[in-house]
Amino acid sequence: MTALGPALSENPAMATPRAADDDGRVSVTLRVNGAEHRVRVRPHHTLLEVLRDDLKLIGTREGCGIGMCGACTVLSDGAPVSSCLLLAVLAENRELTTVEGLEGPDGGLDAVQEAFVEHTAFQCSYCTPGFLLATKALLTDIPDASPEEVKDYLAGNLCRCGSYVKILDAVLDAQQRVQSGRTGAESQ
Amino acid sequence: MTVVESRPRFSGMIDARERVTGRVGYTIDIELPGMLHAKLLRSISPHARIARIDTSRARSLPGVVAVITGADLVNQGDLFPWYGPVFRDQPVLAVDKVRFVGEPVAAVAAVDLDTAREAVSLIDVEYDELPAVFDVDAALADGAPILHEGPPRLGQTFADVIVNASGDSNICNHFKLRKGNIEQGFAEADHVFEDVFTSPAVQHVPLETHACVAQVKAGQVTVWAGAQIPFIVRTQLAEIFKIPATRVRVVVPTLGGGYGGKCYPKIEPIAAVLAAAARRPVKLHLTREEEFVTITKHAMRIRMRTGVRDDGKIVARQSICHFNTGAYADIGPRLIKNGGYGTGGPHAIPNVWVDSYAVYTNIVPAGAFRGYGISQAAWAYETQMDMIAERLGLDPYAFRQQNLLRDGDTVMTGEPMEDSHFGELLETAADKIGWDFNGWDVPPERHGNKVRAKGLSCIIKGTVTPSTSTAGARLNDDGSLDVLTSSVEMGQGVKTALAILAAERLSLPVGMVSVSEPDTSVTPYDQQTSSSRSSFSMGNAVGIAVDEVRRQLLEQAADLLEVAVDDLELVDGAVQVVGIPKPALTYGEVIRRSRTGNLLGNGTFATKGGLDPDTGQGIGSVHWHQAAAAAEVEVDLETGRVDLLNYHAGVYAGRIINPVQAELQTEGNVAFGVGQALFEEMIFDHGQLQNGNLGDYMIASIKDMPKQIDLNVLEHPEANEIHGIGETSLPPVMPAIGNAVYRATGVRITDLPITPEKVLRGLREREAPEARSAAADGSAR
Repeated sequence: MTALGPALSENPAMATPRAADDDGRVSVTLRVNGAEHRVRVRPHHTLLEVLRDDLKLIGTREGCGIGMCGACTVLSDGAPVSSCLLLAVLAENRELTTVEGLEGPDGGLDAVQEAFVEHTAFQCSYCTPGFLLATKALLTDIPDASPEEVKDYLAGNLCRCGSYVKILDAVLDAQQRVQSGRTGAESQ
Repeated sequence: MTVVESRPRFSGMIDARERVTGRVGYTIDIELPGMLHAKLLRSISPHARIARIDTSRARSLPGVVAVITGADLVNQGDLFPWYGPVFRDQPVLAVDKVRFVGEPVAAVAAVDLDTAREAVSLIDVEYDELPAVFDVDAALADGAPILHEGPPRLGQTFADVIVNASGDSNICNHFKLRKGNIEQGFAEADHVFEDVFTSPAVQHVPLETHACVAQVKAGQVTVWAGAQIPFIVRTQLAEIFKIPATRVRVVVPTLGGGYGGKCYPKIEPIAAVLAAAARRPVKLHLTREEEFVTITKHAMRIRMRTGVRDDGKIVARQSICHFNTGAYADIGPRLIKNGGYGTGGPHAIPNVWVDSYAVYTNIVPAGAFRGYGISQAAWAYETQMDMIAERLGLDPYAFRQQNLLRDGDTVMTGEPMEDSHFGELLETAADKIGWDFNGWDVPPERHGNKVRAKGLSCIIKGTVTPSTSTAGARLNDDGSLDVLTSSVEMGQGVKTALAILAAERLSLPVGMVSVSEPDTSVTPYDQQTSSSRSSFSMGNAVGIAVDEVRRQLLEQAADLLEVAVDDLELVDGAVQVVGIPKPALTYGEVIRRSRTGNLLGNGTFATKGGLDPDTGQGIGSVHWHQAAAAAEVEVDLETGRVDLLNYHAGVYAGRIINPVQAELQTEGNVAFGVGQALFEEMIFDHGQLQNGNLGDYMIASIKDMPKQIDLNVLEHPEANEIHGIGETSLPPVMPAIGNAVYRATGVRITDLPITPEKVLRGLREREAPEARSAAADGSAR
């Protein structure tokens, strides 16, 4: 594994080279928020560009273009990745989740979203989708994360408005919500 | 005094759901039918004559719709291709000369970004290099190349601007303040201290970089832009196109951060002239690297002389301030006023003399930045306060308290201080941090290789004066209220704040109030969304507009109910007859039955003031923003690393509108200040920015925050005035940390940021004499 997920050589998308059309585009099938999308992209297009420009999923946003700010974070098979660094053609055969995939089918908010609303853990909120998805991954990776572990995990997501105090509160609250939800489910 | 109201207050953001679902729309999310994408070619030279530009290969690339250069705009004849909020010195695209690395030289509109990018790479430019200057000393040296020759081209600008510029040197503007008699003041002083302080250029780094969608259709120029001051963008686009302001429409969706960097036109002129050339809508969205060469905080050097009597009373202060304003004036000519008078500080000093200069150099233009000159000024005076306290053997807390402005003292701009809370803020800060000064010789608390100590600071900041806000209010026939305003939402929560204020004023639930986005074709004038003024200035304008609606509502209801207006009151969306505690008519019923359609109110709120151009005396600010801070740091003596253990931020809010937002703004200022205190610095080499990306330029992450943060958002509702708090708690951060680092290590850093390298170098210099004497004794280390 690399920071971006499986190494290129392990990526099935690389197994079969595909010829580009006259416009330099190849066909790619992406699985985003549980739905399949077939798009024609140029090989240098990043997942970020394709999510925004082709799939019109505008909750994923560019902040730096070099994987340093976390604003474009999405989940790839549950792991947070910078979609500005991942080429769309390499994102096939992955289960991708964007902020649009956090709400339930009935429009209900995810526990992490609820916690962020409860604590107003944002100001301009440009970075918020990235923080929400990184937090989703954190709650799976380290369910009992201490405040210091939360800070370590979220150090790659930048909030220039500096809403960090409320973000930490919200993440710890989300942790509680998820845990009490689990406990509730187990007791039934 | 913190007041707990019995009535629950709305706390949060009215569009929170949109913000956590990714649906809140920014300018970058706007798409129009037929929209093209723009890319810019930027200067690679800091100062050069443009000998030749060949755009032919770019123009012939399939998919390219328009390519324009500065020469094209001039030759077109029907445009005035210059802009700037004070001087019209900045070309939309470089004309004849380039003046900094990164200056836009040509613009391309194409069917997609790939094509636009390729087209830019096909433009050939030949530069004839000119001598360049990068710092104020070089710019002011004899024989320095002059960036802008001749007197500045003036245009409509802000009422508070003072212009004192000749155009025969690189001095872009000069602000003077003369309070009392400076010579007499220094004569009275028993001690005179002179020190030099510097702070570097830093970048705003809004996570949403500048973006603009422009459309020119049927003689109407429309831009959707992340712009903090939509009405200045409108005025300047009207100037550029030589059309009436009414034919320019500026719409501002919510911003992904602004911090001053999105004040005044930046990329809107380019997007608009490109859309005109292409005859199709154009989107221009800067990359992070481009954002870094668009606008910065001013690098500044202050030489500060302060005269103090034996009893600790400050009697004179003279400041010579040089702001490096970069290649174009932007708002520099105005900012040097605030940064200049700001050096007077929150101290009652009878004699103050300031010369403050904006200086042109061949680097990225500097402009408005959260703090607006006060961060640079406060870094100087609050650091010097501790240096003076040490030289006189005084407790820095007591020395500050002795000199702080109290009600009735005159501030540096000459007006009497009112509603002062500096002493109270500083006292709380000292209490909360556990201020325990026992003398300058007492060694700091030591844990292994780490030392701990505390520092204080206290600052004053004005808000732009005079200033004007206008607003509209419309009560609809279902009892809901529209607030029409041109205040820009950029994360500070202005829409929520205005909704709360309007709802309170008309006894409505906050959920029944909608607040508009700025749209200059529809929403009334506002001077600016900056200077921490919207809650105060626009809040008052909205209040007046809603009061007008309220008056009409009561009159209509009195007619319908056949009672006197004085016998009516408004309770939770309904009109009641006094003494009968049940709704007589809902607001909607009043409007429907009176057949008024809706009730409209307008509000105009304007403050008076301004400074004399020769003395800088007058009314500097309609009221004064006040903040104090205390920091406890831990410094690693082996690495020079500074960790923040505890931080207390105290700020005067007058009256809090939205508690959580007040906390967020204050915590955000701490995050902003931590970066500027410890690591943020734009590094230029011969005008070329060396760290213009988020890999090389660090901003504060969650791990950089102080381990403990304590807030004191101070309310005095009896003063009946809202004080903006968007910036006030930022300037104290840097000196509070610097003063704590000094007390921990004995290393006095006067040039921001306080990097581990500087701390270590300082520690070594301090150790060096001891090491030498130890070596002389023959003892091994």
